[in-house]
Amino acid sequence: MDIRVVVASRESRVARTMAATLALHIMFAGMMPAQQRSAPPSVSYDNHVDAGGMAPPAGTLENPLKGDKQAAEDGAKLFSSFNCDGCHGGGAVGSEGPSLADGRWKYGGTDGEIYHSIFYGRPRGMPAWGGTLPPDAIWRLVSYLESQQPKRDTLSTTSW
Amino acid sequence: MKSIIGLGVALAAALSFGGGSPADAQRPASAPHDDGQWTMPGKDYASTRFSGLAQITAGNAKRLHPVWSFSTGVLGGHEGQPLVVGNTMYVVTPYPNVVYAFDLTKEGYPLRWKYRPSVNGAAIGIACCDVVNRGAFYANGRLFYNLLDGHTVALDAATGKEIWKTKVADLNRGETTPMAPLVVKDRVIVGTSGGEFGVRGWVKGLDVRTGNLVWTGYSTGPDAEVLAKPGTFQPYYEKGTELAQKSWPGDTWKNGGAPVWGWMSYDAELDLIYYGTGNPAPWNTEQRPGENRWATSVMARRPLDGALRWAYQFTPADNWDFDSTQEMILVDLTVKGKPRKALVHFDKNGFVYTMDRATGELLLAEPYVQVNWARRIDLETGKPDVDSSKTTGASKGTVKDICPTLEGGKNQQPAAFSPITRLFYVSTSNMCMDYSVANVSYIAGTPYLGATTPYKAGPGGNLGAFIAYDAARGKKVWEIKEPYPVWSGALATGGDVVFYGTLDGWFKAADARSGKVLYKFKVGSGVIGNPISFKGPDGKQYIALYAGFGGDWGLLSGDVRSDDPDDVRPPASFMPDIARHTSQGGIVWIFGL
Repeated sequence: MDIRVVVASRESRVARTMAATLALHIMFAGMMPAQQRSAPPSVSYDNHVDAGGMAPPAGTLENPLKGDKQAAEDGAKLFSSFNCDGCHGGGAVGSEGPSLADGRWKYGGTDGEIYHSIFYGRPRGMPAWGGTLPPDAIWRLVSYLESQQPKRDTLSTTSW
Repeated sequence: MKSIIGLGVALAAALSFGGGSPADAQRPASAPHDDGQWTMPGKDYASTRFSGLAQITAGNAKRLHPVWSFSTGVLGGHEGQPLVVGNTMYVVTPYPNVVYAFDLTKEGYPLRWKYRPSVNGAAIGIACCDVVNRGAFYANGRLFYNLLDGHTVALDAATGKEIWKTKVADLNRGETTPMAPLVVKDRVIVGTSGGEFGVRGWVKGLDVRTGNLVWTGYSTGPDAEVLAKPGTFQPYYEKGTELAQKSWPGDTWKNGGAPVWGWMSYDAELDLIYYGTGNPAPWNTEQRPGENRWATSVMARRPLDGALRWAYQFTPADNWDFDSTQEMILVDLTVKGKPRKALVHFDKNGFVYTMDRATGELLLAEPYVQVNWARRIDLETGKPDVDSSKTTGASKGTVKDICPTLEGGKNQQPAAFSPITRLFYVSTSNMCMDYSVANVSYIAGTPYLGATTPYKAGPGGNLGAFIAYDAARGKKVWEIKEPYPVWSGALATGGDVVFYGTLDGWFKAADARSGKVLYKFKVGSGVIGNPISFKGPDGKQYIALYAGFGGDWGLLSGDVRSDDPDDVRPPASFMPDIARHTSQGGIVWIFGL
């Protein structure tokens, strides 16, 4: 599927917000047809139990935009314009989908683990965005989520 | 108000339930017949949720006590209600939609059977508002219900054996199926959720024997697909053709929402089913200028072929997520001295509507909670007189203090009607909201939403109330204030005792005439399901209900959850202390004297 066509038809149908326009700009800048993009390497997870022997092959992925404030701000706009907030809530504090702002991660919170969750999706309804979003956009989303994390010492463990 | 509507005293004494047998119509209201069963979600086709059982009275209700409980083993919100057929009680859980059949003849009510379907877990993320299920429908030895992932199932009620399983909805389009089916004649009628995912709402009629699809009636689009056939479709207010297409710009009706996830009623004499449709999508009204038919409407269809007889839209061009999926209660009332086959509907938008269910004519519409988005409903035109300062849209920024909220004056929790007191018993919310929406793009399988809508308490500070309402006079008779939105259904009984549950986990019995609380018990988790009454094999009257916090509140008060160490949320701003009083967890309770 040619993503450009899909996006262009959406463009004509809906009055875009500034955020969405920016999102498209980012998409076009980093876009290539889905079939030409390679899948990210598999990653290993800290919370997987090790049965010993030689560890299965796994790569690591590092966010090339780590710590980039502008990338995090762009990611915030993507988070809204691609309807992530519809499930995870404004500010990623959780709604129908889990909180992504509590410093806790079901599928790991390293750069590569978050990238994997967005690229491949997860069971229980998280869509796979690898066919729609280019790597640059996914990294901006990762940057945004990383910017939302609490400091370790303020991790929420009690409410009452 | 244009007309005064009175319940004729003589006629009220012979109130019939729509869809009941002709004999029922003549039976004195003081001694209604009841076989002690509860075979369909609303008790009867008229959706009265009234049981004629009368052993439990205002005099002895203080002696109520729990006689049995059972953990469903499921944490999702337990909406819906058990069924009791013969000596068996049937319970459907939220996802993963297990069915339990309990043998009421044996001590401890052991299982006769259990049915554990395979349900696609992706449905969890496609269901907008927790993974609820609104229950099963029993007919002719079979139990019919929906799995969350878009399948309708028929089971042998005696053995639990699967008879058929039909895929009716598509998760990839944002469709899920938490509603309870309605079984009428040779049809099993089901609808889809997904108003927050840009579905194109529908109901489908399946063959009761095979599960094969017979008809599909869409909420939006061309007459041919809405099943608005010339000659058959005779709406009272809107005339013309292609009403459900021309009221949308371009092809926006294709993702226009108008889902069907609530309750259905049936009138056997008119041979019409009634149900409400949900909000138009997306929430930003500026992306769909027009009246957006038939979102936020009541639909009257023939069950066998789905043909639309009439439709009426409660909230044209919905600006506030005011779904109209709440139940349609069918009762016969005397209006201006004239007997009417009435339909009474407590809408999310805060008005209660009394209509002629044969024609779709609006007879009365009054607010039953605090309302400020509209001043009144014009009975001549059927249209609301909207306060333009409360209209919303992406260009309008944050619009403040709209009452009620998008949770509604009432939401999924069905009301009850007692033919003895002639009152409706209604669980309500008392909240107002600010509302801001953004332009959103439709992306299949993701929310089509883009809104921020913080809630606050309405007048008085209590977030909810259980009320008795006189729909003939448009007047609240009494209310029990509750600290939280009341999200359980209501039950009315022949002993003049009414029952409901609260979000902070109380089961309550109240005097149907005065609203005095007669008994309460803490049932272990917040109640969002609907109490029922049945006669046990021992001849005694019992009340059954689910505890099991969830539904919308499972999303909005995420700090109530304790099951997921990777998902920790701050308390909800408008009810920061709910987690002091409840956690999640499904329990079936039975109470008796």
